[in-house]
Amino acid sequence: MVFPSFEFAFFFPAVLALSWALMPHPRAWKPFVLAASYLFYAAASPRYCLLLAGLTLANQLGAVLTHRAAAEHTRRWILAATVAVDLAVLGIFKYYGFFVDEIGSFLASIGLGMPLPLLTLALPIGLSFITFQAISYVVDVRRGTLPPASTLDFALYLSFFPHVVAGPIVRAREFIPQLAKPRDPANVAVGAAVVLIALGLVKKVVIADYLARTVVDPVFGVPEAYAAPDVALAAYAYAAQIYCDFSGYTDIAIGVALLMGFVFPQNFNSPYRALSFRDFWRRWHMTLSRFLRDFLYVPLGGNRGGRWKTARNLMITMTLGGLWHGAAWGFVLWGALHGLCLVTERVLRGRVSAPPWLRWAIVFHVVVFGWILFRTESLELAGTYLAQLAEPGAATLWAPATVAAIMAVIGLQLLPPDPLERLRLRAASLPPYALGFGLAAVVAVVGATVPSQGVPPFIYFQF
Amino acid sequence: MADRATPSVPKPPRGPRLHARDSLVVVFLAVVVLVLFEGGSVRHAGDQMQPGVERDVIRAVGEPTGWIADRLPFDEWGDDALAFLEDDDVGAAGGFDSTPTAASGGVPPVTPDAFDPADLGAEPTPPRELDTILVTGDSLAMPLDVETARRVADQDDGVEVERDAHVGTGISKTGLLDWGRLSTQQTTERKPDAVVVFIGANEGFPLPGSDGEETDCCGPEWASAYANRARRMMDTYRQGGQARVYWLTLPLPRDRDLAEVARTVNSAIEVAAQPFRAHVRVLDMTELFTPGGRYRDAMTVDGRRRIVRDADGIHLNSAGAGVAAEVVLRAIRRDFGR
Repeated sequence: MVFPSFEFAFFFPAVLALSWALMPHPRAWKPFVLAASYLFYAAASPRYCLLLAGLTLANQLGAVLTHRAAAEHTRRWILAATVAVDLAVLGIFKYYGFFVDEIGSFLASIGLGMPLPLLTLALPIGLSFITFQAISYVVDVRRGTLPPASTLDFALYLSFFPHVVAGPIVRAREFIPQLAKPRDPANVAVGAAVVLIALGLVKKVVIADYLARTVVDPVFGVPEAYAAPDVALAAYAYAAQIYCDFSGYTDIAIGVALLMGFVFPQNFNSPYRALSFRDFWRRWHMTLSRFLRDFLYVPLGGNRGGRWKTARNLMITMTLGGLWHGAAWGFVLWGALHGLCLVTERVLRGRVSAPPWLRWAIVFHVVVFGWILFRTESLELAGTYLAQLAEPGAATLWAPATVAAIMAVIGLQLLPPDPLERLRLRAASLPPYALGFGLAAVVAVVGATVPSQGVPPFIYFQF
Repeated sequence: MADRATPSVPKPPRGPRLHARDSLVVVFLAVVVLVLFEGGSVRHAGDQMQPGVERDVIRAVGEPTGWIADRLPFDEWGDDALAFLEDDDVGAAGGFDSTPTAASGGVPPVTPDAFDPADLGAEPTPPRELDTILVTGDSLAMPLDVETARRVADQDDGVEVERDAHVGTGISKTGLLDWGRLSTQQTTERKPDAVVVFIGANEGFPLPGSDGEETDCCGPEWASAYANRARRMMDTYRQGGQARVYWLTLPLPRDRDLAEVARTVNSAIEVAAQPFRAHVRVLDMTELFTPGGRYRDAMTVDGRRRIVRDADGIHLNSAGAGVAAEVVLRAIRRDFGR
């Protein structure tokens, strides 16, 4: 089930009404929302529910055992075993085909056969997000920053339908404490939630899908068929598309959770206004950045071991962060590029100065360049894409609506935040009936722009 | 440690706080307004979904909402007001609603178009010069169109590949998109010299049988109804014999129920093409990817075992689509001599 669908349009009001009706009775509310979340997840495939339940039980067992173990080395082993289970599940479903294919290619090049079966495994939707959240829980328990939750609370945390499919990556200690007592029905950010949901729908269906249809998919599919002006346009268009697609999903997820009385962390904060790569990663997919920092970069040693170790840790963190997005060399290279930029930035800090506009231009264009590696299906195609950037020819895709959409997405992020925030607050302060009519109007307009192909899946569903 | 600096519970966005019942007012008001203005769409969406619980639920909701919307003018007002936003109107010409569902009596004549001249050792009628290849279909056509376009672009001989895939659509699924109308629009507007069709991932929906009643997949009645529609599209795409059509049969899916639909679709495609063998080539992807009717994830490509299917067990991945594109382009080269 996806947010912009009729199924969700009927599922959510029913769940919302029952959720608030049962809220004063946690013994009824929690099983109900857990069942609703599994129903939501089962809409993708009922088989996946078993995997979700299995991961829940394995991690809960790991958390309880690590909490009870007296000896430090026992706690460490239990944690390692639990995280290994999570990563093994992720590895099998997400990376098996990729690595077997690569190993097969290598073995074939030296005249050997393939020892492993070539199989495709359907990636359970949201598995990357689920495993990261499960790891965050077990590690937080192990570190003593969170006591083990009840199995019901943990199951609810892991499967809560607003974030189960594509995040944001909500940390256990951000969510589980919210289950400790019923949410206050007199303190619901209804206006803010409706604004987020409406904005998310517009970003995804109107802007992201339009750019994908008209520019991004045609050019990234066959870059050889387009000359420099179109290829450059498609790179900027993809930068706008991926932002609108992913932040649109996050907006809807946060809004839906708010209506149910829960608060999720912010996941995007005008990333294209960043003046440094460090700044970019504090604004782009913020919950993933936090996760990578707290569960990979810091445990590796962070910046505590001198310049070289810091550089190594940054490169490892960002490269694995790239690989997290998918089993392809393009993602790895994209992560490594960002790692390299973060390292270079550290080296140059205090030695080189540049005006803000120049820093912005450099960061923005390197980010756009990185998206080319991220979006192209293979390194060979990425090479072709980059070669086409030097190919003179006509601009065939520069439609006014396309250029306006790209400029609006990027330009709005460059504006001072205060006027936009005031506008958001004014919309969020409308009375309930106006919010209802407004939401209906937005949904109707968004629905009218859906082409016969329907709404394509969110980009981050595949991760 | 940076970890400890992370706040425990996030702060909610700034703005006024309302009561939970207001959230229900907002959501239910939005739903009521949408039912008044878009009630018919719910019923319509339910009809277009794959069989299952979700479809049953949406249809159960869609029937009353559609009934309400039918009796009020709002649906029409909404459609009129937002018509300017719809950018993919395929027109009304050539729709499947006018496809004959039964023979009008007598024995249909066999025409010369039913024979591929090559099979008879005769000189084939040359098609138009090859300028444009249209690759179309449902999601099956998506990696195929890219792989075909990439190969054609590499040849750099001025041939243009137009890609027009419509995800989630089907020949037996007219509610979302009527392929009869779309094929008419595609040929009228684009005038492709070669049309590559790869469609069938979303088939199996009930079709009007010869008696006008809906018939379920996958018996002869359904197959004949499907073949009638496919034949109509083939006739449209071949443009009176000036163009050539390359219709790909379906590699069998992993799922047994879907494989039954695919087998029926493949039979229907073969039958549908019979009167137009001079201009319509049925390219066998079934035997190529699923020899002996057995599903497989991998096959030997260029001397090496490669995964050729997507994880869903339905679609071809890029490597598989590349194999299919080679078959398509060989067939095109045979017809157009380039």
